Amino acid sequence: MDPTRQLLDQALLEIGIAAYVTGALVLFAYFLTRRPVLRSIGMPLAILGAASQFAELGARWWMTGVWPLTNLYGSLSLFSACAVTIFVVFAYRYEMDFIGGPVLALAAIALGYATTWNEGYMPAVPALQSYWIKIHVPIVITAYASFMVAFCLSLLYLVKAAVEHRYRTGSPSVRGVAAGAGASIDVPLNYAALPGFGAVRTDTPALASAAAAGDGAAQWLSGLPSLAKLDIMQYRVIAVGLPLLSLGIITGAMWAKEAWGAYWQWDPKETAALLSWIVYAAYMHLHTRPEWRGTRTSIVSVIGFASIVFCYLGVNIWISGLHSYKM
Amino acid sequence: MRLFAHVPFGVSLLAIWGLLTLIGVIVEQGKDPSFYAGAYAPPIARLIVRLDLDNIYHSAAYLGVIGLILCSMAAATFTKVIPRRIPRLNPVKIDAIPLHATVHVSGDAESARERIAAFFAARGWQVRKREFGGTEWTFADKNNWARRGVLVAHIGFVLIAAGTTIYWAKGYSGQFAVLSGQTATIPENGTTVDLKRFAYRIDPVQTKAGTVYQPIDYVSDATITGRDGVAHNAIIRVNQPYDADGTLIYQATYGFAIDFRLTKDGRPVPGPDHPLKEGEGFAIDGTSRAIQYQRFVGTIDRSTGQPGADPRPNDPGIVIQAFDGDRPVGGALIPLGQPVDLGAGYKLDAARYVLYSGFQYRYDPGIPVVGIGAFVLLAGLCISFYFLPARLFVLVRDAAGGGAEVGLAATTVRGYEVFEERFAEIIEAVRRTEPVAPENEVTTTPVLGGV
Ligand code: HEM
Repeated sequence: MDPTRQLLDQALLEIGIAAYVTGALVLFAYFLTRRPVLRSIGMPLAILGAASQFAELGARWWMTGVWPLTNLYGSLSLFSACAVTIFVVFAYRYEMDFIGGPVLALAAIALGYATTWNEGYMPAVPALQSYWIKIHVPIVITAYASFMVAFCLSLLYLVKAAVEHRYRTGSPSVRGVAAGAGASIDVPLNYAALPGFGAVRTDTPALASAAAAGDGAAQWLSGLPSLAKLDIMQYRVIAVGLPLLSLGIITGAMWAKEAWGAYWQWDPKETAALLSWIVYAAYMHLHTRPEWRGTRTSIVSVIGFASIVFCYLGVNIWISGLHSYKM
Repeated sequence: MRLFAHVPFGVSLLAIWGLLTLIGVIVEQGKDPSFYAGAYAPPIARLIVRLDLDNIYHSAAYLGVIGLILCSMAAATFTKVIPRRIPRLNPVKIDAIPLHATVHVSGDAESARERIAAFFAARGWQVRKREFGGTEWTFADKNNWARRGVLVAHIGFVLIAAGTTIYWAKGYSGQFAVLSGQTATIPENGTTVDLKRFAYRIDPVQTKAGTVYQPIDYVSDATITGRDGVAHNAIIRVNQPYDADGTLIYQATYGFAIDFRLTKDGRPVPGPDHPLKEGEGFAIDGTSRAIQYQRFVGTIDRSTGQPGADPRPNDPGIVIQAFDGDRPVGGALIPLGQPVDLGAGYKLDAARYVLYSGFQYRYDPGIPVVGIGAFVLLAGLCISFYFLPARLFVLVRDAAGGGAEVGLAATTVRGYEVFEERFAEIIEAVRRTEPVAPENEVTTTPVLGGV
């Protein structure tokens, strides 16, 4: 391939990494200080990083004529670009910018690690020469990416809940004010009615009182979304990931049927994806129960993402199978 | 029944299913016991074999857990999901519901009620009015149908299980290899596959790590005779199977079979009577020795005498292993067409290679059911996650200082937080479209904790 084109490829990749690293730092600073100007710098960096990554993958495809997602480099690149894109979309829709630091940091790590698998421009082996790769891989990767964003939210939830737990005094929290609300299907917990103000979900009362008493850490933490909101944010992102993972497994099965004869062969990769699917199905079932929402579902989300990392990287690297990119 | 329908019980079953699946991913499946003895410490290897962990997906425990999940899901579906009708339309204490707001509007209660009802009806809400002790309530529902999403998802899962069972009951699969110029028969349906030729393409590709020999294409040119007795020409490639009366035949592998010639003191003696594939071997008559053909080497690096990187047969050879009884006694890389001395007057000549093609075949009448089940499941997920059944309670009363006071509260099947932004938007829209009463005082929209 001609050197100018390779230079373009390299430049786009470097812009992506640089944008993520600086974006992660700026958004971490925003997370710590809540200064809006930092968000105004960090978010465009996130967009720039994702855009240059998509451009890089597109450029590779255009330059070589080979679909760029046939190796771990391409797929990890797409993973980080998708994770940042999902973050940006959710940030604008649901005010989630505060989670940008960890998301961009993980995206930068994924992309940095991807470059160690950057072998150059390889044509695909026969098994990967199928239109299915263009359908199946992006779907699965987008699912993984949304689970990564959910994972960052779950960690934050767990940190906030743990700190709340530490601050909690013996005083009983305000519980079930609205429990008598006839047709309500859930049992609402910890709502406090405020005159003329609807109601406030007071699931961090200990933190709030410590903040009011001038505790700096508590002040900072209580400025984050309430636990209830963090929980709903996770739920929303996982509600994007789980149907995509299901569709990814289905399209994978359709491809497998075409390529290997059986739609399901208990290949380590597909089985690991099933494992992740089971974990997130368990998450969804737990989440239907108000009293299990929160800490328990967040832990399941963390386990879910661990299973995704295992399925995505662990299986490719340690366990050989039909799916290994190294075949 | 109560236990089975209990969601935490179902989740525990899912956790066990996940755990067994994880074991299946980590422990290599379907090897023989000697493999585990070599790969694990003796107690673990024994445990793996004893507990069926080497074939976990078809073990009683695995199938049992899936069976229990199906029972648990069915119990929950019949006791909770199906009976869960829309809750009765009852008055509530609006202020006690976390999502609530009050808007003051102009006109009397009667006209305001009509306007509010029309407002919600125009936005796709199902509006119903009921009178309780002289007070008229308005109820607006959205996405009530989506309560069926859970049912749809559960049915999808059952269909997938049913389709898989159909395969176990009626389907079959297997694999076979055919040498170029030979014919193989699929035992289950009598289809014959006559391989005219197998071809492959492997290209050298320059990468950062050096030259890599990348397979580009494998293709079998065959004649297939199915039930109709007519020979059909078939080109079978990876990703492009051939359909013989519903049994699909797939390109799976290929290899180099070797035609061996054995001589003793210069005279031919009986050796293998057909070309051997990688892994196959033969005993040398009248001795305790056996020879195994281990693998094909496309290019022998003449400078080192070792296998080169190029798998294409430029200067081919094979790796053989000699055994005395079960005991390996030595291996060698021998070039094709150059007899090697085995000792005791024996000479072995790997005379030539014959390409063979490995096929898989499968007949699976459950596929349509599994396919439908998968999409039903997906539809169920999407319905459950993206269409949130919600209800608004609206109470309109004449306000003391003139105009009317509209009290609104909202609840959903998934709590309140998930509906918070939407509720704020609804209140905002009501406010924008409603003529306000004189001396209007507007209650702030509800906040459930903020960023
Ligand atoms: C293990 C046994 C299972 C039991 C006991 C069970 C039970 C239930 C129950 C009672 C609900 C309704 C919860 C509520 O809204 O209050 C539900 C929801 C649901 N179930 Fe299951 N289920 C099981 C397995 C499965 C499986 C294997 C799937 C996968 C297809 C599945 C998919 C769903 C979905 C998508 C929902 C909706 C979740 C939501 O609205 O967030 N269930 N399940």
